[in-house]
Amino acid sequence: MKEKFKIALAQFPCKIGNKKYNIDKMAKHIKQVKKQKANIIIFPEMSLTGYTTRDLTYELAEEIPGLSTEKIEKIAKKEKLYIIYGMPEHSEKGKAILYNTAVLIGPEGYIGKYRKMHLPTHSVFEEKRYFRLGYKTPIFETNIGKLGIIICYDIFFPETTRALRLQGAKFIICISASPAVRKEFFETLTVARAIENTCFLAYVNLVGIENGLQFWGGSRLIGPNGHIVTQSKYDEEDISFGNIDYEDLKPVEAFVPTLRDLRPELYASLQEFSKKL
Amino acid sequence: MKLTKKLLQIDPEATQQKITRFIKDYVNKTKAKGIVLGISGGVDSATTAALATKAIGENKVLGLYMPEKETYNKTDHKHVTLLAKKFKFQLKTIDLTQTLSSLYKNIPNYNPKDKLSRGNLKARTRMLIWYYYANHQNRIVAGSSDKSETMIGYYTKWGDAAADIVPIMDLYKTQVRQLALHLDIPPSIAKRPSTPALWSSQIAEEEIGLKYEILDLILYGLEHLMSSQTIAKQLQLPTKTIATIKTRWLQTEHKRQMPLTTKLEYRTINTDFRLARTTELK
Repeated sequence: MKEKFKIALAQFPCKIGNKKYNIDKMAKHIKQVKKQKANIIIFPEMSLTGYTTRDLTYELAEEIPGLSTEKIEKIAKKEKLYIIYGMPEHSEKGKAILYNTAVLIGPEGYIGKYRKMHLPTHSVFEEKRYFRLGYKTPIFETNIGKLGIIICYDIFFPETTRALRLQGAKFIICISASPAVRKEFFETLTVARAIENTCFLAYVNLVGIENGLQFWGGSRLIGPNGHIVTQSKYDEEDISFGNIDYEDLKPVEAFVPTLRDLRPELYASLQEFSKKL
Repeated sequence: MKLTKKLLQIDPEATQQKITRFIKDYVNKTKAKGIVLGISGGVDSATTAALATKAIGENKVLGLYMPEKETYNKTDHKHVTLLAKKFKFQLKTIDLTQTLSSLYKNIPNYNPKDKLSRGNLKARTRMLIWYYYANHQNRIVAGSSDKSETMIGYYTKWGDAAADIVPIMDLYKTQVRQLALHLDIPPSIAKRPSTPALWSSQIAEEEIGLKYEILDLILYGLEHLMSSQTIAKQLQLPTKTIATIKTRWLQTEHKRQMPLTTKLEYRTINTDFRLARTTELK
């Protein structure tokens, strides 16, 4: 397993409903980052279809693995790198049972998926109207370490990231479609999640305008000490690169040993308390 | 939350960037050749025109100034000319006096004493001409409604608010004035009392009964889920004043939505038929 590797954060404006355009765009970016010797490229939430697909989500959703993952697999095998992107998924048991899903594909092919656990249905968001909640926090064994994935609003719930870190993920990826009015929240929370879990955290956000919503980009890699390793441009298509060295975790784990000092027995009542909200 | 003027302060440069990006994106996605908009000489249309020129270039923006005998005043004319010169957009002046008088003559049972219906006819006639140029020259119509007037329904349904995009509709009037000054619109326009120009000497604040500085704070409070009592207490106004504004807001929702139908079938337009505006399905 590699202890050191290079990552690429790729934010681009998607065309709503146009998978061919969006895959071609991904392929172009993949080629470009491969030249820079990146080991993994990460695209935003719902980057296969665009975020505001609304009723078209029923038509656009696919099984995973399925048609689109096969296309991305071909690219990953050819370019020999890991790819993470987002797409609407339908269950094999029902075509209208949908999930907002992140897919991980590697040089060896399809590796796994994460289904978003916290679905925003407030303000401009209507995810619960379309999607079923995810129930699992899987981690993925790769030759760049154990990876954990969350999607956008999940980052507001520290327990999700914590669950991934406790299972051994030292590199956590958050793919997102966050409109501009929420920038400050995400810029704070990405740093907080990295510090409190002493892990690397990559955040990749959509750019472009969909249905009046302006996605702000600003993708970033945060180190375990909370420092910003790399940051993409705001509001523009951009790719930024960052290096991860797992050796950097040790000094931070010793300096602020949040995992060592974790007191799970104190939180057993959380479930009870939340039932009484 | 304390309702103070500070809450309505915007970052004008960031706001300008967001709005111009939005305009440019929409024009590109719709493959339109430009924008057409009504220019009255007031702050809302001046700001919208300035933003449009910055977003897509002055040669792609057509401003239509449509005076008519009853509401004509020299200051409007002067301001419109000044704006076109300053922001270099194309300006057409179309005198509506004859068109309107022909309409009045040809509407059966037309009642000249019904000031409101007559005024609304003017706003809707202006809209017809915007859309003529939009069709004829493949332009999109940019409306100039702001959030204050839109929230209380102080506009003509399918008239001045009829548009493809309304770039400043998420800004209260006092915020539009800040943006206008940032865009270097002369203070004589940016700070001028607003009028819908439906009849002569019509002043918005007199009709609404409140200064925009106060109205905007009331609307801001309502937007942020504050109770009428709290807003009244904080602004030292009678609760009845807040209740009146709240009623205007709630009772004019029909103006802000597409027409209502009754649900009969599987998916119903404007109810549970939900699509994005610019889909490029492939």
